[in-house]
Amino acid sequence: MKSESRLKGRDLINVGIYGAIYFVILFAVAMLGMIPIFLPLLSVLVPILGGIPFMLFLTKVKKPGMIFIFAMIMGILMLLTGMGPWPLLTCAIAGILAELCFRSGRYRSAKKAVLSYGLFSMWIFGNYLPLFTDYEGYFAQRADYGQAYIDAVQKLMPLWMAPVLLVACFVCGILGGLLGRKLLKKHFVKAGLA
Amino acid sequence: MAYSSERSQEARRSFLDPRTKLALVLVLALFVMGGLGAEQMKPLKTALSALPFLLLLAERQWGRFARGIAMLVLGYGLLFALPYLPGVLNFLALMCGGILTRFVVTVVMGEYLIATTSVSEFISAMEHLRMPQAITIPMSVMFRLFPTIGAEWRSIRRAMRMRGIHLGGAKASQVLEYQLVPMMTSTVRIGEELSASALTRGLGGSTRRTNICRIGFRAQDAVLLLGCLLVVAAWILELCGVKLW
Repeated sequence: MKSESRLKGRDLINVGIYGAIYFVILFAVAMLGMIPIFLPLLSVLVPILGGIPFMLFLTKVKKPGMIFIFAMIMGILMLLTGMGPWPLLTCAIAGILAELCFRSGRYRSAKKAVLSYGLFSMWIFGNYLPLFTDYEGYFAQRADYGQAYIDAVQKLMPLWMAPVLLVACFVCGILGGLLGRKLLKKHFVKAGLA
Repeated sequence: MAYSSERSQEARRSFLDPRTKLALVLVLALFVMGGLGAEQMKPLKTALSALPFLLLLAERQWGRFARGIAMLVLGYGLLFALPYLPGVLNFLALMCGGILTRFVVTVVMGEYLIATTSVSEFISAMEHLRMPQAITIPMSVMFRLFPTIGAEWRSIRRAMRMRGIHLGGAKASQVLEYQLVPMMTSTVRIGEELSASALTRGLGGSTRRTNICRIGFRAQDAVLLLGCLLVVAAWILELCGVKLW
């Protein structure tokens, strides 16, 4: 039984495959975040679009640890792409929560899968943390974007947005999970992938 | 006696050790893009920003070098043209210029890392760093897949454009469904083939794998790693309030 639940090469490769798809989508969407209006909207768009690869990924998850590793790798990639160390922390927490949730459904339950993706999506909040933990410093660093940009972002991101964004990540994660499941049924099962 | 494959590996060996490249990516991400450090770090940051371009030249990646420079010129051009532009255009130019000049450097560094590091080199470097397999294997799969996903996505977009499915031509939900889903389907298929081939070659096995790649630190690595250390040291000194210059 013990060897059954150990992660093998194939599981880790699967983490890599779906992680790559998720990251490409994340990166493409995050480029929009340069435009001020899209900055808070990232917590809506990323969870919804990322739901498609993640739900597909969950159909391959049968052993403990895979979701957590997926989350940690996102954290490392955020560090390498210049988002600072905060996402590592939120990724660890969200990864553990998502893992426990999907585990409680014995890695099979569809409802738990959607909920698990909602919890996982909360890691995205880590990308906003540098803004909220050091409000003044964040804008001082971005002075070269121009005052108009800073004004626009400050108007869109007052301090009370922090909890709103966190909840938005979770809710949109659930929505993304549902969307992912719908597409799963419509396309991927037919194609023999799920 | 050297095997011919060993010789070809030696010929293909990149200018830098993959570990040095990773260290540079991290330092660039933290300081140039993440914006750590204040006034005193400015000259160091400027020096860091030039680095990826020099590295691309050292590896004779002319195409990528030209593209990076073009983006940089565009960015500074926009900033330069700023005072002559009216209202909204001014705002847009400032934003695009600010973003381009800030991001190009890190993008170029990332391109350099992916273009000049083979998967074997990457795995070998990770093993030398004693990273657990749980991190090494997914990361190397991702490194291998990024360019593939890009190529797949481009050709799927072309095919869908022919059917009139593109942003501005069809509904957003349609674009999503008919571009993302095929992209993911083909990536997963490619990934499965990749996984079969990697497993045949013993990735993820219980025994230690051997690797034909030669990696190791040379003079240029030592210089650049020392540079990284200097940057970090300067930052710590600055945090402690020491005046450097």
